[in-house]
Amino acid sequence: MSVFAFDWYMIALLLFAGFYCMLASRSIVRQLIGLEIVSKAAMLTVISAGALTANLVFAQALLITMIVIEVVVVAAGLALLVKNFRVKGSADIWKLDSLKG
Amino acid sequence: MIYHALLFAAAVVFAMWAVMARRLLTSAIMLALVSVTVSLIFFNLGAPWAGVFELSVCAGLITVLFVGAVSLIRHEDEKHPESRARFYALPLALAAFAIAAWFYLPEFFDALAGWRRMASGGGTIGLALWDLRRPDLLGQVLMLAAGVFVIKSVFPRRTEK
Repeated sequence: MSVFAFDWYMIALLLFAGFYCMLASRSIVRQLIGLEIVSKAAMLTVISAGALTANLVFAQALLITMIVIEVVVVAAGLALLVKNFRVKGSADIWKLDSLKG
Repeated sequence: MIYHALLFAAAVVFAMWAVMARRLLTSAIMLALVSVTVSLIFFNLGAPWAGVFELSVCAGLITVLFVGAVSLIRHEDEKHPESRARFYALPLALAAFAIAAWFYLPEFFDALAGWRRMASGGGTIGLALWDLRRPDLLGQVLMLAAGVFVIKSVFPRRTEK
């Protein structure tokens, strides 16, 4: 097995842990933590592929964009969590529909 | 190679810990450790800029956001905790997935690596960011503005009537 195949095998395990967290939990914080783990797996995939094809410069430029988007998604998700907690006193993702206008 | 494999194993272990931790604060800290490990992998793969951004933004800023949000809802979460049984099944499910995937995925990934096309490998990160991907920078600024707008619209200023 090559180093690349080993890297991607471990990335698949990381992806599984993130998806499992998102499927098993109803807490908004844990949903976001699962999303972060999946996002880390995606970032590792981009950089690993960049290293494989000797194209790390573009892979890093793409990754910086990914990090910016990730920060915005997490900030928006946590803002929804805080708002939902103030309105309903709960961090349950199934109660997010109470925020609808 | 051993250092590289250990870093990947540490990332998976910290991710499992983040998922299985009883307290949300522990989960947030373990997520920060996943970010630190991932940034070390980036440095090891020869991507220092990605490592620096991952370390400063993901392990720093996002952890601060998580800890702030968790400290707000911690009391409620401790009063009405989630059922832990599904989370304790994670090691078993992950082991089953790892064993099943071991027979198929590495072979597939080796075939995937065989199809690669090598790049010229030239250029610098400054050239890629400021010259070749200049329109993306505008997109990133707009994305940040959209995030600020979301937070502004979620928490509107209250006006007393």
